Amino acid sequence: MDELKVGVFLSTCGNQLSKILDFDALMDFAKKIRSVVIVAKSSEYWRGEGLRTITETIRAGKINRVVVAESLPKLSEVNIVQAIEDAGLNPSLVEILDLKDHCAIPHKSTPSEAVAKAKAMILAAVEHVKLLEPVEKAEFYAVKSVLVIGGGIAGMQAAEDLADLGFAVNLVEKASFLGGLAARAGRFFPTDDCAICIQSPSSDVKTITHTSRKCVYRSGFTEIPNMKIYTNSRVTKVDGVPGNYKVTIEKKPRYVNEAKCVQCDLCTAVCPVEVPDEYNAKLNKRKAIYINVPSVYPPAYVIDDAACKFYDCAKCVQICPTGAVELNQQPEKIRINVGGIIVATGFQEYDPYVIKEYHYGDYPDVITNLQLARMIDSFGPTKGAVIRPSTKEPAKRIVMVQCVGSRDRRWNPWCSSICCMISLKHAILIKTAQPDIDITICYIDVRTTGREHEYYYEKARDLGIKFVKGRPTEILHDPEVNMLVVDVEDAILGKLLEIEADLVVLAPSLVPAEGARELSKILGIELDDDGFFKEYNAKLRPTETKMRGIFLSGGATFPKDAPTTSLHAHSAALKVSKFLSTGKIVKDKRIAIVKEEYCGDCEFCPVTCPYGAISLVQKDDEHFVAQVSDILCEGCGVCVGTCPVNAIELVNSRPDQMLVQMNALMSVKGTSKPLILAICCSECGHAAVDSCGMAMMEYPANVRVMKVPCTGILQVHQILEAFKVGAEGVMVVGCKTDGCHYEVGSEKAKRKVELTKILLREYGIEPERLEMINLVYIEGDKFAEAAKTMTEKLEKLGPLQLMKSL
Amino acid sequence: MTSYALFLGCTIPARQPHYEISARKSLAELGIELIDLAGMTCCGPAPVQSIDLETSLSVAAYNITLAEEAGLNIVTLCTGCFESLAMTNTMLKKNKLLKEKVNRILSNAGREFKGNVEVRHYMQVLINDVGLHQLKKCVSKSLAGLKVASFSGCHALRPSGLLKLDDPERPHIFDDLIEALGAKSVWYRNKLKCCGGLLRGYADDVALAIAREKIVNTTKASADCIATLCPFCFLTLDMGQILMKSAYHEEHSMPILHYSELLSLSLGMNPRELALDFHKIKVDKVLDKLGYVQSVSTTT
Amino acid sequence: MAGMEKEELTNLQFSKEIKEHMGGETITSCYQCGTCASSCPVAKITERFNPRNVIRLALLGDRKKVLLGDAIWLCSSCYNCQERCPQEVEITDIIYVLRNISMKEGNMPNIYSEFAAGLLKEGRIVPMSKFLEKKRSDIGLPPLKPADVYSLRKILAATGFDKILQRKEEKVSL
Repeated sequence: MDELKVGVFLSTCGNQLSKILDFDALMDFAKKIRSVVIVAKSSEYWRGEGLRTITETIRAGKINRVVVAESLPKLSEVNIVQAIEDAGLNPSLVEILDLKDHCAIPHKSTPSEAVAKAKAMILAAVEHVKLLEPVEKAEFYAVKSVLVIGGGIAGMQAAEDLADLGFAVNLVEKASFLGGLAARAGRFFPTDDCAICIQSPSSDVKTITHTSRKCVYRSGFTEIPNMKIYTNSRVTKVDGVPGNYKVTIEKKPRYVNEAKCVQCDLCTAVCPVEVPDEYNAKLNKRKAIYINVPSVYPPAYVIDDAACKFYDCAKCVQICPTGAVELNQQPEKIRINVGGIIVATGFQEYDPYVIKEYHYGDYPDVITNLQLARMIDSFGPTKGAVIRPSTKEPAKRIVMVQCVGSRDRRWNPWCSSICCMISLKHAILIKTAQPDIDITICYIDVRTTGREHEYYYEKARDLGIKFVKGRPTEILHDPEVNMLVVDVEDAILGKLLEIEADLVVLAPSLVPAEGARELSKILGIELDDDGFFKEYNAKLRPTETKMRGIFLSGGATFPKDAPTTSLHAHSAALKVSKFLSTGKIVKDKRIAIVKEEYCGDCEFCPVTCPYGAISLVQKDDEHFVAQVSDILCEGCGVCVGTCPVNAIELVNSRPDQMLVQMNALMSVKGTSKPLILAICCSECGHAAVDSCGMAMMEYPANVRVMKVPCTGILQVHQILEAFKVGAEGVMVVGCKTDGCHYEVGSEKAKRKVELTKILLREYGIEPERLEMINLVYIEGDKFAEAAKTMTEKLEKLGPLQLMKSL
Repeated sequence: MTSYALFLGCTIPARQPHYEISARKSLAELGIELIDLAGMTCCGPAPVQSIDLETSLSVAAYNITLAEEAGLNIVTLCTGCFESLAMTNTMLKKNKLLKEKVNRILSNAGREFKGNVEVRHYMQVLINDVGLHQLKKCVSKSLAGLKVASFSGCHALRPSGLLKLDDPERPHIFDDLIEALGAKSVWYRNKLKCCGGLLRGYADDVALAIAREKIVNTTKASADCIATLCPFCFLTLDMGQILMKSAYHEEHSMPILHYSELLSLSLGMNPRELALDFHKIKVDKVLDKLGYVQSVSTTT
Repeated sequence: MAGMEKEELTNLQFSKEIKEHMGGETITSCYQCGTCASSCPVAKITERFNPRNVIRLALLGDRKKVLLGDAIWLCSSCYNCQERCPQEVEITDIIYVLRNISMKEGNMPNIYSEFAAGLLKEGRIVPMSKFLEKKRSDIGLPPLKPADVYSLRKILAATGFDKILQRKEEKVSL
């Protein structure tokens, strides 16, 4: 092995730090550390002259390990490390410490103590860098092909973008036709555009050459290059890793040959079977062989295999002029290889039958918004007429009830976001066409938050649509006159009303699409508490999930209107494109490694890993060991903290590497106060120490900070080690338990701290010497407070009495 | 032979011997043994809960401990008692801290709530221990032709989370029991709405107005009688019609019958044995419809 | 000057006080949708009682009107509102809490004094009729087993029930 040659470069930040810290003393101290060959100071080291000094020293072969003291390391290190890598040294062999916000500024009132701490910090950095190993980058192959699950607006839009960008797109839709929920909406608010256009994907190339940028009506039937569309299909299995997923699609047969069907409609006339038509929300019946509307994709009829009598009837086979009906079609299993997956499964209406007081299903004249939309749609079962299902007569007195199942702790506590607008849209369309119809909307609140949405509410009032602030308790039916009665309080007047209606329209809650839960299990992604697919962070990482190759688009994350869905779909396409565009995924191999000879196949780590990166594999002698997926491992170390036998290690965060830092930090006392070790996670914990200094807060210099990737990496014995090497108190500083950047680490650390406290008590050591603090980045004040409090506490307790047994 | 500790409460022994006699007789006939325990007090219902919740829980718990000591489940005839005892039973079984609190109070009387018995309304006993099938078999005098407006009262159904007796929005148990006797359970407006009984004594006019709505709706539905499960409801609707005469100058004659009275009749008992003269609104019309020849409006 | 009556929001923390009582914990979930009012059989008949309004005044802090007013005594405990409430506010139980608080401050409507007196005296809120007790054997009923009033009184003393009645009597005599 090469001899270690460490270079120590101390930045004075334009000489500001030298006013507080004695840099000469620091440099003398550093020179005396074994293996340190160069010690230098300068105004700045993260750019310019200073950075050049470092890179030249590396190129000249004078050093092979670098320690830099610079301000704001989380920001400045990017530049430093890149330059060092360009100079030919592995970028992992660098340690950057912060003498400004971690030392000089917070301890400026006690300069001699600050210098002592600075020495300890430099020593810890040097000893640590001496033990660091070079980490290589790994390249993983990424297939430039994408799977989009769901063929509604979100799926089609994202698929279209990606196909145009040159990716091979596989669009899978579980229904027999594309279009999703939006196609049945009739019109979109707030512009009242026709919704039926969203039945087939189009290509932007066409819209550039044609003048119609607004209408997509005529663009659907050509083959879109790079796009394969599978209708009547579901994704049943997903294996593999990001960049290289192996997907199994199961395609149900249409029983109609898409290439031969000419949509002549002779088959429906002879089909003897009638079933409720789900496309029209069961307002009417359809035949077993059917098509929804003429402009659908694929442009072919389909047979409902649950309803069809097949060879017991086969009348459609006989009558089809082109022989397109093929009753012997078989289901297909299609296996594809994709680099990324987009989930665009959308949402559906909650079935209000369970909300028994509204009698949906008992009284035929109580319908849902979707059913009303189907009625209003001129392509629908009533050709645009709004009728009472019980009599088929036109409805004259309509009452709409909002929040049916939404904002309701008994059913769905969330607000479904778009139902106010949907109901307003319907009310306006009906009232504009037939001003004599009486419409009342019963609401808890009217939510019109989007652009131009409020004008819908204005328009509705101008048209004479009535609004009652009150949630009805019950919908009654008077059989003598066949009228419904809505029992509601006008809460503003404080008066009880019994509103007569011949049609009641419920605005049901909007919930995840059918099959969402099964799909989440197949893909290994999470659902939130409300059952929607969980977006990793809607502000910082929209459309991403916890799994790096799987993205979300549209209403699958939460109900959205059409413009927002469109936006979200474009974003998802962009994200996937960025992810796969270079054809490879490059990653640092700063990952967990299993020491197989120690692994006892206890299954703790596979179960704990928040990313599902660990699996169990069978060895030759039939026993199992843990195995870490290079590409899935996020380098948090929670597995390390979980392993009862230390059989798994995180590269460059090994126990010996941590111990050497702890030792060094405790070795230079320079203060009469009791030494405290603060073990901070690299996310919120360490950042809070930064922000404390940045905000110029002060705390005592007996607090020495050591960084770990995640507090979840800590083992109980490591915390005890801290006490052995000279810490009188230990603070474990991490993210809040419900906000851990690695999901579970902070929670596990909390538990370990509790267990360690029990052990301390057994050893005769006061358990108050150990605390866990949970905070976020900007809570630097909390860190300072905790440091001061613990120092005072330890001073009261007196010096630590270590038992010999420890 | 299934045995239960019978919990009578206050109102039934004080005012409604006809309820008690019909219940005792019919349940005995169906193979349910009712055991009277000494020491039982008021159950701690709504009026007591209005004064102090801790008191009503403790009083209810006290009565439950008597049954626990005898190793018997409790059956009540009054849905008000059912609500008070069943709610307390469930709450104390679920909430350890609450149980400890109540037991501290009970210890003053030398008692301890253990949580090892069930509280049932006799409707549940009929469904679960006797069964609709068996019940139908035991009917010797079918009530066919009788149109009954069933009114279970609020506390048979609500709060549904704690009582779990029947579906609070679409209850059917009471109607099933009525139809098992051959009668028809008719629909009428606002069937599940309260009778207003608990307002009597504080706001008699309001209580009467609420009760009146029930009488009017059942009359409109051409019901021959209203079937009740609670002595408070009975009182409100039965005595209430007498009060409505002076308050509204209206003559109403809707007979109010407890389910156990209908049950007793269907099991073949003689109306004379059922103390029916305690009803304020005479039940002669019902008896006539059922084919009883003699009038029973005079006490023998 | 004649006009709209102003609400006296004397106790801004009234909802906090209610939440500290068992049964009152859910009051702040209310978003005033009015489902309870339309479910209420009493509100249908009289304007003297509206459950949504009672909760509203309690949340805003008009402690005096709520506790000294007529409304809280008009709930018929049918629990329909509590069943239907979309925010699972335990409205009926909250009204019991309001009654309890009001009672502890010496406000007890007469009918409740009768009930309370009956409970303390005989162990029954509806006193036994001597006439009927004698008639039991004629009707065919077994003799009524006596209530254990002694034990009950011990319990009522332990919960302070007797003091509540006393407080009312003191207030009346003032």
